[in-house]
Amino acid sequence: MRILVVEDEKKTASFVRKALEGEGFAVDVCGRGDEALAAALATPFDGLVLDIMLPGRDGLSVLRQLRAQGNRTPVLLLSARGEVDERVEGLDAGADDYLPKPFVLAELVARVRALSRRGGETKATVLRVADLTLDTISHRAQRGGKVFDLTAREFRLLEYLMRSAGRICGRMSIIEKVWDYDFDPGTNLVDVYVRRLREKIDDGFEPKLLQTVRGVGYVLKE
Amino acid sequence: MKIRTRLNLWYTAILCGVAFAVIGAAVYHELVIETRPHHHHGSKREAELDSEDLIDILTWTVTPAILLGVVGGWWLMRRALAPVADLTQAVKKINDHNLSQPLPCSGNGDELDQLTEGFNAMTARLDGAFQRIREFTLHASHELKTPLTILRGELETALHDEPASAAQRERLASQIDEIERLAKIVDGLTLLTKADAGQIALKCEPVRLDELVRECVADAKILAQPQSVEVHLDSCDEITVAGDRHRLRQLLLNLADNAVKYNQPGGRIHFSLRRDGPSATLQISNTGAGLAPDLQARVFERFFRGDASHNSAIEGCGLGLSIAQWIVQAHRGAIQFASQPNELTTVTVRLPLA
Repeated sequence: MRILVVEDEKKTASFVRKALEGEGFAVDVCGRGDEALAAALATPFDGLVLDIMLPGRDGLSVLRQLRAQGNRTPVLLLSARGEVDERVEGLDAGADDYLPKPFVLAELVARVRALSRRGGETKATVLRVADLTLDTISHRAQRGGKVFDLTAREFRLLEYLMRSAGRICGRMSIIEKVWDYDFDPGTNLVDVYVRRLREKIDDGFEPKLLQTVRGVGYVLKE
Repeated sequence: MKIRTRLNLWYTAILCGVAFAVIGAAVYHELVIETRPHHHHGSKREAELDSEDLIDILTWTVTPAILLGVVGGWWLMRRALAPVADLTQAVKKINDHNLSQPLPCSGNGDELDQLTEGFNAMTARLDGAFQRIREFTLHASHELKTPLTILRGELETALHDEPASAAQRERLASQIDEIERLAKIVDGLTLLTKADAGQIALKCEPVRLDELVRECVADAKILAQPQSVEVHLDSCDEITVAGDRHRLRQLLLNLADNAVKYNQPGGRIHFSLRRDGPSATLQISNTGAGLAPDLQARVFERFFRGDASHNSAIEGCGLGLSIAQWIVQAHRGAIQFASQPNELTTVTVRLPLA
């Protein structure tokens, strides 16, 4: 998997590269918009991490030009502006995902991973992690012979965590996917819901499946 | 006393004074000087006749003249000062959002026009200053994001480096928490600055407010559980407003979050949504310490945190209610805060129905 990171801020580009390489991606880095466009058109990348504010040519214009030329490489937009309207503008221009700065590095890595295998998501109706199962049709969760009642929100949270099993889910992704919020609600809503979910699926069972990644988010894994 | 009334009184007094002085002089001339040289019969009688004539003249000529003078003067003053009244009305409408609109000039170059021009020049300078402050805040919050991104990324990389000990990890994680808080403040500032500059467009569509309220009550129950605070939905009329769904959810969650944070263990939160004539009235009340009356007017100020500024147990960036106020005003609604210390604190939001 080969990813092009387009970011003019050298330090940011450097730790993004390090993090993605740590996940097994091959990473190219480019600091200018015009060069990035030429590179993306010349080389078939598996994904693009594209900053909006760039010298040479801004990210949105690079993206529009790529799409206009029929290039369908998945693109994750980064922006220091991070407001709902810019997010919408970015997605309208053809971006597949959007992340406002300052972002959680693990979140960025998770999203790039999701991008590069978009479409290959499991469509299974019964999800399974260790001895925990979730039936996405009857909305019932089960572990060790015990059946749990889940509220609608708890179900969506558990479904999201189970579909991303083994991967870190950042707070912002959870808020987007489970609450459909485009903004950071500035509350500890996610943490409180996770705590409740944990009481149901982990209390009295071993091993604990729902783990906290301090400063980042949560992960469901054995 | 108004300038017009004062000028009118002075003018009337002067008019009367001058009139009486003229009449006095005339009477003196008629009665004393005119009668002195010719000293013969009938002259006394003539003088008496003259004085009666004088009284007649006074009654039928001078008094109406004075009255006419007063009325004319009053009309003149009114005409002369009307532009001042217009100017006052126009000036009263000026606030920090319409500073760039100049007051209308009549264009005839009189003193009032000069005043208006001077005033317009002043508001233009003020507008420039406001704009520079907005741009500054916007640039500052934007510029802060790059170093924050770097700091966060570096710390996160360090946190996941294998050799870090548990104590080191704890310290790194705590630094990440603080960066997160800083990032939230910067986000809130960016949002408010953009809102001030009118750069945020709301997507207006019919929104079922009662559904959003029920959803928010469900979230509030979860948020309130750790403090064993009870959440009640007292009434919830079926209400549709025209608004931006995301912003309205942000508003509700913001208010619910405050009601939980500033509550007391074992306290209560009451939600109610009612149709109230042409508007929807949403009330969120909570128990808790509340806020002293002299501080209540300031709750919507940015970074105002009341007594909480000394209470580090209450997390928050101090922008929540400012953002809530912006959202409500952007929907042409009104928001009010009322608190009886140690009883109920109530936030009331009124939004026009769709």
